[in-house]
Amino acid sequence: MSSDPRVLRVSIISPAGIGYEGEAEAIVAPAYDGQLGILYGHAPMMVLLGEGELRLRAGRSLHRFHVARGFLQVVENEVTVLAEEARALEGGEVPSGQEAAH
Amino acid sequence: MAKARDIQRRIGSIKSTRKITRTMEMVATSKLRRATQRVEQARPYAVKLQEVIERLVAPDLVELQPILRQPERIARSAVVLITSNRGLCGAFNTNLIRAARELLDRAERDRIEVDLHVVGRKAVNFFRFRGVEMASTRTDISDAPTAEDARSIIEPVARQFVAGEVDAVYLVYSEFRSIMRTPPVARQVLPVFVPEERVRSGPWYILDPSADEILSRVLPLYIINAGYRALVETAAAEQGARRTAMKNATDNADDLTNNLTRLYNRARQAEITQQIAEIMGGSEALVD
Repeated sequence: MSSDPRVLRVSIISPAGIGYEGEAEAIVAPAYDGQLGILYGHAPMMVLLGEGELRLRAGRSLHRFHVARGFLQVVENEVTVLAEEARALEGGEVPSGQEAAH
Repeated sequence: MAKARDIQRRIGSIKSTRKITRTMEMVATSKLRRATQRVEQARPYAVKLQEVIERLVAPDLVELQPILRQPERIARSAVVLITSNRGLCGAFNTNLIRAARELLDRAERDRIEVDLHVVGRKAVNFFRFRGVEMASTRTDISDAPTAEDARSIIEPVARQFVAGEVDAVYLVYSEFRSIMRTPPVARQVLPVFVPEERVRSGPWYILDPSADEILSRVLPLYIINAGYRALVETAAAEQGARRTAMKNATDNADDLTNNLTRLYNRARQAEITQQIAEIMGGSEALVD
């Protein structure tokens, strides 16, 4: 994965600690007004999050988090999710031939 | 003579007390470790939150955000004092109560009315005994405070601030600088003050929704987080104080046991010597 430079650096942080720190190719976040997809090269952005499931794809694995009362910031392919609640849910594998992020 | 037996009874009672203080010391040590971890884990969130606010705040937004309002003069303030529910931790709670009372005294001199909100059974009992009126009391915060606890404490006073009912909010708690240094501090959390030189909002950001709306959501998170940090730092400081207090108690018990054991040996020896002397005296009387 690290051979491909076109990845996002992601950190998910809550008062209880750092929930995730690593790389991801795609993120789907529950923005306050609907789902939001982020890929490499996204413009700098700050967006309010609603309550819901945040998914990120890193290689073949899929990570899921339940987030609430937070927001997301993208700056130069660095994605920071700050949320009062960020709880890891059971992850899984990305089904072959299918995009995790739509 | 029953003296030796008296001493022995005292030694027994000190040893059983020592067993308790030693256990409490060990419990506090393990709780301290977890509490310290919580303090450290809370740090990245606080740092990032501060950064984001500095990015969002623009001078023209200050007027739009009631939470950023800077009152010209303070007529009424709220003090939130955080102490522990349990004692046996040395001067920990006394120091916090003293810091709060200094703040109250100063406010009285400046003719500022104060709402006193108290967290922790120790300070609640203190102020109740003294007949000091408290705006709210909480004794249900555990050793492991959550963001939810912080929200339930901070939100009502933040609402009062926004409504203009209070003009400043202070938190009095134990700052956890290190295990050995946990001074009581009084920190102003409202109004939020962002130094102008730290403001670095850029027009190159996509903001969704507007900066104003995001701020109105982020600022409460920021203030609640200040409350959360105060709770976890005080909880860690409490365990540290308890560990020190219990370690001193255990050491004192050891010293006492040593001294009493020496005393006991001397008393026992004296008894034996006396008994021998009596036997010798008796047998000498029989010889003639």
